[in-house]
Amino acid sequence: MNNLVDVAIEYGPTLLGGLKVSLTLTILSLALGLPIGLLFSFGVTAKNKAFRYISVFFVEVGRGAPALVLLQLMYYGLPNANLTLSSMASACLALTWTTAAYSAELIRGGMQSVPSGEIEGSHALGMSYRDCLRFVVIPQGLRIALPSLMGFAVLLFQATSLAYSVAVPELMSQAYSIGSSTFQYLPVFIVAGLLYAAISIPATWLSVGAERLLSRHL
Amino acid sequence: MEQLMIELNPQTTQPVVQVKNLAKAYGSNVVLRDVSLSVAEGSVTAMIGPSGAGKSTVLRCMNLLEQPDSGEIVIDGHCINAGKKTSPKSLAALRRSAGMVFQHFNLFPHMTVLRNVSLPQERVLGCSREQANEKSMELLKRMGLADKADQYPSRCSGGQQQRIAIARALALGPRVMLFDEPTSALDPEVGVEVLEVMKELASTGMTMVVVTHEMAFAENVADELVVMADGGIIEKGHPGQILKDPQHERTRRFLRAVLER
Ligand SMILES: Nc1ncnc2c1ncn2[C@@H]1O[C@H](COP(=O)(O)OP(=O)(O)OP(=O)(O)O)[C@@H](O)[C@H]1O
Ligand SMILES: [Mg+2]
Repeated sequence: MNNLVDVAIEYGPTLLGGLKVSLTLTILSLALGLPIGLLFSFGVTAKNKAFRYISVFFVEVGRGAPALVLLQLMYYGLPNANLTLSSMASACLALTWTTAAYSAELIRGGMQSVPSGEIEGSHALGMSYRDCLRFVVIPQGLRIALPSLMGFAVLLFQATSLAYSVAVPELMSQAYSIGSSTFQYLPVFIVAGLLYAAISIPATWLSVGAERLLSRHL
Repeated sequence: MEQLMIELNPQTTQPVVQVKNLAKAYGSNVVLRDVSLSVAEGSVTAMIGPSGAGKSTVLRCMNLLEQPDSGEIVIDGHCINAGKKTSPKSLAALRRSAGMVFQHFNLFPHMTVLRNVSLPQERVLGCSREQANEKSMELLKRMGLADKADQYPSRCSGGQQQRIAIARALALGPRVMLFDEPTSALDPEVGVEVLEVMKELASTGMTMVVVTHEMAFAENVADELVVMADGGIIEKGHPGQILKDPQHERTRRFLRAVLER
């Protein structure tokens, strides 16, 4: 127990630095991935063939392949195609892909559950197809999808730990390097685990709260 | 012939709605066969008939929520031909001249009552927010719903929601209002509120086509009664006349079923 406190005090700043990188990676991947996911959510059912095929490809591969494979592909694989990215950039790219793929399906599910009567209502009023999406389908679809998107964000945050495999100095890799230089693996990983939990658990509560708040009018 | 009728009846003006030889099938299921209908300015047409007769389909074809297979629709001079491709512009013009009220209201649940009524004015007519809200409040007052403006639709009763939907359609200044069983989803007591509003609307000279099972409304408010069965119009004319003395066996059977309920 003492050991745990000592480790927490001595390596706390390094671990917190790692946590900051993990959070940065999560936020960047969400900020880039969610808009692309929204785009793909239309793409997978689009009339335009090129748009549809591209969307289906990225969504299916992004969901089908483990995030770890995508990470390795971006970091070790792309240089073979003469494209070398920093470890942070390649991790960000891989997790953006994962985010876009999963969120596309979650958003599409949300939009599909907007009652067709409301869509007809907007058409009967003479509102354009675009206005119908903008004012009726997208706001409600995102609202319906939001709790599951927040749930996904928590999983993504935990999945950033995979980025240790491509040398991103996030929480997991900091813990690992402290462990390997001090052989204090047990307390270090416990502290790292607690730090992940300290973010994940309140975030999960938040998503449950959001669900309640948003279903208020429905 | 047409010339003659106009001379005989000097009040006849160009009808607001003309439906000519409308036909529609879903796959091999023929839902409408050769439906023609014309609705005079300021008149109320009630449409009755058994379930599956195609009443909703006629109404939905009128503003192209459903694409007819053949036929022609003219509303307020905007002509749509089923054979030709409709430009988005003439589609918008057609829908602007026809307001539609649905059985299940189809309000936007994530917007307040006021936003529900104002948003279409802003997007379709290009009104400013202030103009739209002013008009919406005026209509909500007329519907007896001024105090509901800032509520969400889910906090309103069914009858109130239907009146909000009527206000939302009226706000766009339609030339004709199409109602598809506006009271069927409501308790009879609540339905009365909606029927009152519709009666008031008719008395102000609004042209209306109403699909309904409310025989009292059809008899007392409508100027013209249309009876549909099996995808066609089997009888039309003065409501009192048809209800008293139906010509068609199918009409008699339907009326018996409705009145004995
Ligand atoms: N989208 C659709 N796809 C296939 N068939 C349809 C569709 N919509 C309607 N129909 C069929 O068209 C026929 C006419 O339907 P419609 O809704 O116009 O009848 P209605 O007279 O309004 O009946 P009700 O009184 O039950 O509302 C029915 O047989 C119905 O099954
Ligand atoms: Mg119907």
